Amino acid sequence: MPDPIKLRATVKGNEGEVRVLMPHPMESGLRHDPSGQLIPAHYIVSVVLSLNGRPVIEGALGTAVSANPLFAFQLEGVKAGDRLAVSWVDNKGQRGSAEGVFSAA
Amino acid sequence: MMQKGRRDFLQAFGNATLVAGVLGAGLLKPGTARAVEFNRAAFDAKTAADALRLIGAAGAEASRDILLKVPEVAENGAAVPIEVVSQIPGTTRLSVLVDKNPFPLALQFNFAAGATPRFQAKLKMAETSRLRIVASAAGRHYTIFRDVRVTVGGCGE
Repeated sequence: MPDPIKLRATVKGNEGEVRVLMPHPMESGLRHDPSGQLIPAHYIVSVVLSLNGRPVIEGALGTAVSANPLFAFQLEGVKAGDRLAVSWVDNKGQRGSAEGVFSAA
Repeated sequence: MMQKGRRDFLQAFGNATLVAGVLGAGLLKPGTARAVEFNRAAFDAKTAADALRLIGAAGAEASRDILLKVPEVAENGAAVPIEVVSQIPGTTRLSVLVDKNPFPLALQFNFAAGATPRFQAKLKMAETSRLRIVASAAGRHYTIFRDVRVTVGGCGE
């Protein structure tokens, strides 16, 4: 099991700032291990960010996203207490998700 | 074209129940983002030209309303920080391409109503390359690029 997602959601005025860190190897499938074996591709392909249950940002990722993807986003019309959810799916069908609540910055 | 894109997207997952879950969770509000479906085949393209064609942005026009913040010289190609902001009204999608990567299309984000078309991310860059952003708004595509020098590449070894 990968480490849990780290999610930070803060509100300033009516703007919500989201930072999300998703622990994941993001193996490109192009690297070799020390014995010369190709390391199979293993990377997140899809990310969804939802505000109060409604998807607002949807991402498609390739192998060029760095290991342990760290993203920052901005949402409008957000208030403290609003619920945020993030989920991912990788190319092996593994999933991760986390939920958080917006708090005043 | 839309049908083909959807099929490729579905095939990329290859698991019907999983796909149902992803699409169910991922469907953005109709009307705010027509281009909900990603063309997964574009992520397998080996040249930027092919990737641009597959995301439907081959004829993207240059725009100064896309702001791209990226270091001129990246010391670590394994994690090049970028910040992208589109000031083009109605932007629903931002795409990032690294021309000289083995697979140039790095990522795409769809933005529904309530999400500002901006993000920060970290990318792998195999070598010194042009970095391209494509902003899509109301079926049109706009682009900006920047050349980034990479001193230690971040894909191979």
